[in-house]
Amino acid sequence: MALSVEHFGRTYAAATGTFTAVADLSFTVAAGEIVGLIGPNGAGKTTTLRSLAGILRPTSGRVRIDGHDIIEDPLEAKRRLAFMPDEPHLFEYLTVTEHLHLIARLYGVPDVDARAAALVEELELKGKERSLPGELSRGMRQKVVIACGLVRDATTLLFDEPLTGLDPIGIRRMRHTIVTRARGGAAILLSSHLLHLVEEVCSRVIIMDRGQKVADGTFAELASRADLATAGSSLEQIFLRVTGHDTAGSAS
Amino acid sequence: MLSASLYIIICSARNRIRVRLRRLREPRYLIGAIVGAAYIYFSFFARFRATGRSARRRPRTSDFPESMAALFALLPQLSGVALLVVAAAAWVTPVDSGLLEFSDPELQFLFPAPVSRRQLLIHRMLRSQLGILFGALVIGAVSPSTLGVSRLRLSIGAWLLMVTGKIYFTGVTLARARLGAAGARTRRVAWLPLGVLLLALAVVAGAIAGEWQKAPPTGPMEGLLLIGRASQSPAAYIVLLPFVALAQPLFSDWPLPYLMALGWALVVMCGIGAWVLLSDEAFQEAASDVAERRSQEPATKKGEPSYRVRSDGWPLAPLGRPEMAFAWKAAMQTLRMVDRSTLTRTAIILFFLTIASATMGRANGLASMLAAFSFAGTGFAIVIAPQVLRIDMRQDLRHLDLLKTWPIKASTLVRGELIWPGVIITAAAWAMLTIATLLSATMLTNVSVGWRIGGGAALAILAPAMVFSQLTIHNAVALVFPAWVPLGNQRPRGLDAMGQRLIMLGGTWLLLTISLIPGAIAGGIIWLALQRFIGTGAALVPAALVCSAIVGLEVLLATEAIGPAYERLDALAVERPE
Repeated sequence: MALSVEHFGRTYAAATGTFTAVADLSFTVAAGEIVGLIGPNGAGKTTTLRSLAGILRPTSGRVRIDGHDIIEDPLEAKRRLAFMPDEPHLFEYLTVTEHLHLIARLYGVPDVDARAAALVEELELKGKERSLPGELSRGMRQKVVIACGLVRDATTLLFDEPLTGLDPIGIRRMRHTIVTRARGGAAILLSSHLLHLVEEVCSRVIIMDRGQKVADGTFAELASRADLATAGSSLEQIFLRVTGHDTAGSAS
Repeated sequence: MLSASLYIIICSARNRIRVRLRRLREPRYLIGAIVGAAYIYFSFFARFRATGRSARRRPRTSDFPESMAALFALLPQLSGVALLVVAAAAWVTPVDSGLLEFSDPELQFLFPAPVSRRQLLIHRMLRSQLGILFGALVIGAVSPSTLGVSRLRLSIGAWLLMVTGKIYFTGVTLARARLGAAGARTRRVAWLPLGVLLLALAVVAGAIAGEWQKAPPTGPMEGLLLIGRASQSPAAYIVLLPFVALAQPLFSDWPLPYLMALGWALVVMCGIGAWVLLSDEAFQEAASDVAERRSQEPATKKGEPSYRVRSDGWPLAPLGRPEMAFAWKAAMQTLRMVDRSTLTRTAIILFFLTIASATMGRANGLASMLAAFSFAGTGFAIVIAPQVLRIDMRQDLRHLDLLKTWPIKASTLVRGELIWPGVIITAAAWAMLTIATLLSATMLTNVSVGWRIGGGAALAILAPAMVFSQLTIHNAVALVFPAWVPLGNQRPRGLDAMGQRLIMLGGTWLLLTISLIPGAIAGGIIWLALQRFIGTGAALVPAALVCSAIVGLEVLLATEAIGPAYERLDALAVERPE
């Protein structure tokens, strides 16, 4: 498995004691698979993704990227991983091209110029190569973050709300980009509130609520589950049902 | 709008106090608050009490030098001249009051609201009062007076002066933007205050020149007395009236002279306030400019430096050691922050400082002054610059979310972060040291050439070791105690934050001292062993080499030892702005 998560948990210190953001989460993502990670606000999606990327330390459990543990063997695990966060985080003093060159240098990408040119074209960053992040719109900065993630051959891609700030053309392109990378053999975990996007590109979905995994399976599997059968087959209806917000369904 | 402004100010202040009190539950803030309070007490109040007691024991100013007494009598006039110079300088230097720097929420909520621009300006003036009041209270608190009432009087005077300054600088910003306006009337109105100010400056300069011709001063004290005398000539006295009126409450006796002075200062403040508020049209344009600029710079936050791409810079080679990629990154940051005009301004300031100090102490000559200046610069570069220049992990903690995803060893990352600041600080120290050593004969007349050259060479060898060891300590502290390190350019406020900074400073100095001990001992032994054979001055060089090698080794070992701390470092441990 490209990405394997076993009994992952993360707690935070809070003023009133400790707060469990994620508890006992286990799942896998195979090469070429696109898995959607959805849940209401505060469900623990971003905490999960940031922990998988090595930004936060898991309180319990194991995370492996291509068999490399993110805690015990972080360099090898991170070499195979690309994380595209929802909030574009860039060095305010480096241009778009310089960001790509820096990432290429750190990851040992040999043909950076050709790759950078192709990504600039693919993500419609043409003409912005010499711009600093402060001169770019939020959508453009998001594209730069994604370009930095794609400039190397990562086997596991983590997307946190990848469409935030993008225009309709950008959204269409991004969908295409994600699907193309999966077809190329990458394992993709995608977190989004845009359920139609998840429904369209993901082959499987994991639903989280209050730090717990409450559903995991393909759309057909979820739709055929006995407790969800009456909810209908759309992801939105399934989501509302499993998170306890489908008041009409609950009543029936 | 006034009630809305007051509501915003009161709510913001109340919430800020709540946040600061609530965070005292955390030990690091509580310890910081205790240390900060102790520092304030022992630095100011305890010292003043001691000063007060000794003052009571001493006979009063009977043996005060006559020239000093004359100078004290002229202080209001001298302050008036200084204020005139500052007021004039505000037109040529990019001094900004900050009153036009609206925050993002102000832009979002107040600009679209049915509020006139004049009301917005009043809101900004009210908003700035808390900071000014605090500053004025600090001035009163640190004044060497034994009576609480005198401190309060001084605080009120300082508050009036600072408020007037803030309003004046805003007026200058507004008027400066209209100096080249298309309309002749607008242009005339904008030029009028500048013209009046230049006239006042010419009158005062003329009076000083007249006094100078009569009897040129032989020292700084005489120079000040000359300016004071010149400012009392009839024409200068008249043009300086508003400036002296502003400074007068700081020096007046209670009750009648002080209250009179306060009244006149208030009149001046109201006059300047009216001038700014009548620039309503200019304020409309300036406020729109601010909104426009902010909308074009979505990522630039208040207080953060602005970066500009000026050339292709220094391209990063596709392959090579990762450390150099971090050095390149930091170099790009420096090059994009420091532009040619900044460098030119700095060079001009340094040039005039040197000339001024050489003139003031001309008995020692220009060369000796340059030597002293260079020695001071070397010391500053080696001792202070590693604390001030934060183009390393201390700044990159903000980007921890990004750094933590990179497949880079912690020791590599830390070494990479040290390279650029270490190199530029060392280069600056070497440049200053070269000048200081070359000119040292003019200053250190009793020291032999061997000691001067040997000492200079030894310091040059020790400089990089000391710089890198300090940078290593600062970066290690940032990784081990990230919550204690202010991110980027933010400056956490409050007594607790001040205490935290003091603890960090003390800890860093202690660590630096400990890290230098083995090298200093080894170097000392080498010097003792060799000084008989090659001379005391020349023996400093091998001693410095050994000391540097030991400190260098310590730096390497420390960067390796920091690794686990970085691996354990959690992005949530990093302090966020208030």
